[in-house]
Amino acid sequence: MSAALEISGLAKAFGEKIAVDHVDLTVPQGSFYGLVGQNGAGKTTTLAMAVGLLRPDSGGARIFGADVWAEPERAKTLVGVLPDGLAMPERLTGREVLTYLGLLRGMARDVVVERAGELLAVLELDTAENTLVIEYSTGMRKKIGLATALLHGPRLLVLDEPFEAVDPVSATTIKSILRGFVDGGGSVVLSSHVMALVEQLCDHVAVIDQGRVAAAGSLDEVRGAGSLEDAFVELVGASGAGAKGLSWLSR
Amino acid sequence: MAVALTMAAMKMAVLRNSMNSQKAGLVVAGAVLGLILAGGTVAVAFVGDPNVGSVTGWHTGDLLAAAYAVWMLGWIFGPVFIGGGDETLRPEYFTLVGLRPRRLAFGLLTASFIGVAPAVSLVALAALVVFGVRLGSAASVLIALPAMLLSLVVFVLLSRVATAVMGLALRSRVGAIAAGLSNGVILAALGQGWVFFVAFQQVGGIPPTASAILRYLPSGWGLIAVEAAAQGAWPRAVAALAAMCLLIVLLLGAWAALLTRRTSAARPSVRGRRPMTATSAQGAVVAKEMRTWTRDLVRNHQLTFALAYAVFFTSCMLFMGMNGLLPYTGAVFILMAGAMSANLYGTDGTVLWLTLMTPGASEVRGRQWAWLLTVGPVGLALTVAGAAITGGPWPLPLALTAALLGGAAGIVPLISVYALVPGIDPHRRGGNPLRSSEDDGSLTGLAYAVIGLGGLTGVPAGLVASSYGWPGVAVGIVTGALCVWGFGALAESRLQSHGPELLQTMRTGKRAQSASARWKKFDDLPKRDQIIATVGWSLGAIPLFPQGIVAGVMKANGTEEKSWFLALHVPDPWGWPVVVFMVLLGIAMYGGALWVSYRPRPREEALPAAAA
Repeated sequence: MSAALEISGLAKAFGEKIAVDHVDLTVPQGSFYGLVGQNGAGKTTTLAMAVGLLRPDSGGARIFGADVWAEPERAKTLVGVLPDGLAMPERLTGREVLTYLGLLRGMARDVVVERAGELLAVLELDTAENTLVIEYSTGMRKKIGLATALLHGPRLLVLDEPFEAVDPVSATTIKSILRGFVDGGGSVVLSSHVMALVEQLCDHVAVIDQGRVAAAGSLDEVRGAGSLEDAFVELVGASGAGAKGLSWLSR
Repeated sequence: MAVALTMAAMKMAVLRNSMNSQKAGLVVAGAVLGLILAGGTVAVAFVGDPNVGSVTGWHTGDLLAAAYAVWMLGWIFGPVFIGGGDETLRPEYFTLVGLRPRRLAFGLLTASFIGVAPAVSLVALAALVVFGVRLGSAASVLIALPAMLLSLVVFVLLSRVATAVMGLALRSRVGAIAAGLSNGVILAALGQGWVFFVAFQQVGGIPPTASAILRYLPSGWGLIAVEAAAQGAWPRAVAALAAMCLLIVLLLGAWAALLTRRTSAARPSVRGRRPMTATSAQGAVVAKEMRTWTRDLVRNHQLTFALAYAVFFTSCMLFMGMNGLLPYTGAVFILMAGAMSANLYGTDGTVLWLTLMTPGASEVRGRQWAWLLTVGPVGLALTVAGAAITGGPWPLPLALTAALLGGAAGIVPLISVYALVPGIDPHRRGGNPLRSSEDDGSLTGLAYAVIGLGGLTGVPAGLVASSYGWPGVAVGIVTGALCVWGFGALAESRLQSHGPELLQTMRTGKRAQSASARWKKFDDLPKRDQIIATVGWSLGAIPLFPQGIVAGVMKANGTEEKSWFLALHVPDPWGWPVVVFMVLLGIAMYGGALWVSYRPRPREEALPAAAA
């Protein structure tokens, strides 16, 4: 059985700065995979290369065995992506965005209409029926992004910071959607820097530090006896320099 | 004052940090162009009769008043054309600092004087001093100095206030359309300004009413002061200067008020009402694009602008009693609308990721259809109406309309993927809706490129139509269809082969590094080499092409027109040596730039290869 996502030797440098330094990762089918790392560790760059949004300097990625760069059409119908902070068709309403994308993917119109309605209702976006995406709040943008990732019924979800700026109620909704997706045989890869969230949701985890994989495996293998946060701090070797406190703030 | 100086320092730092080879080239080119215009303005001060009062023929004061009116209109309406004007320091940066609006406005104003445009304008305003000298009055020269500086402040402030008003106007559809109409008319008037001069030439100088109006514009107040000083009319001179000071205070207050509205007001709200009824992938792209055209107020503004520009551009010849241009209104509109949408993909920003995630769906074709559906009917209607009013000719305007429609619908997507100017994502744009990119110089270049290349696509049909009549229309339809099909296919394949690179360009705002290690990075060059490269790349074309090759061709053809070609002005035995010298100079400039930028064979890389 091929892995849901297999990343091999991905590398990317921007000028002098090496963003991703030969990353290998295997996401087994049916797993809920968390990617953790500090800001600038290379999570977003790795995920963008894994789904074909950024061309790697070397290495490659396969989605259910389909090479992202050699067979993009097959690979990309199997994956749903939620990138962080990218634009949407801003002058459309949520329903129009989903209709547009569904048709663009070659889905039948009645299927698109039905799924769009369901997604909007589940994600509680149907109350803002006439609002254009450009006027959405950050949390609403995440939710419509997730809806676009789910629309075509992918077998793998790749989500970059899906819970950032999402309110607790919506976060619960998203969590239950994702758990249901994994229970139904789907696979999820998400990046986050909230350790508690990854510990709560994921069964596999990889720690990325300075563009390399510092540790990867099942959650229990990576965190050992302690919490994921302790294991993470130990792995990335954070110095305590930031903990000194700011002298002018205390009286 | 501390705030103002800090902001000025901040702007210098931002400009210094954002400088690269491409930007430096644009800045040098802009400065040279500006200095030519400023030099022209100073030259105007030497033309005509300087004496105050009634004179026969051209009056220097009138000419200067007209020139400064053009400069002022350029300051006011330039930002509309070049992406919202200078926004190096945005007011949003300072919302949390808690500055009072007036201090904020004063600080931003001070920072506005750092840059090429104010320096160039100051050179143009130096014509006031020249004029004072020609009037032979020490008092005039003395008055000209403060008048110069005050005029510059007025120009910069008018520009700032106009941009801020535009920002507010673009929050409603009515405002967007009204702004598009007025901007189009005024820019067309600037472009066709020569018409007025020809008209005035016929009556032997600028008529008194026009000259009075020109002087009563704020751009003419400095001139009033200088002329009044020459006549010894001190109260009038002082009053003119005081009026400028008052205007500055008022504008500063208005700008401060507008700044608070800009940082506090919400986004424009246009509601989505029509349900999407498309059933195919291409239909969906068309539906999305059509909605964007109607709902995005900046695009509303652009289309209205193109319309007003075209209508006024062709109809202002009516002032001279000529209506021959009217049938070509549609053609002008199509080219201008193309120029306005030149950065088709850049304006939409990183939404390209969705296209990349749905391979196989043809995005470009849908965009072309939407563009044709938006621009085509209006363009055709303008052509038909124009030709109907003048009673023909029919074939040439129709041929051009068909050819240019197809040409622009092909060129626009093609150029926007080949020369993508990274934009600011729509949801991240600040309070200035005209500001769709940080790189307004490249945006302007792209607009002109569409006008130039789009214009070329009309040439075959135009030639056939002007020689043989109606068959030209068929040629126009054929070349138009070929352009739509061919250029669209090229754009599509570029999008597929370079999609990730284009997305990366938009994400980071920087063009992807070329894979070749043969070219040195501009920032790594020593200062001397940077100067050589900048001057060589940006100015080498002037001696090589116009002054060298074109002048040579004209000389060989025995052309009478001398224009600005040095080789045609020098006495005979020297003409050809000048041509040769200019060609060699151009080659040397390009060669020098190439020499400092190109690394023939990187030694570090050559060694390991030899060892292996």
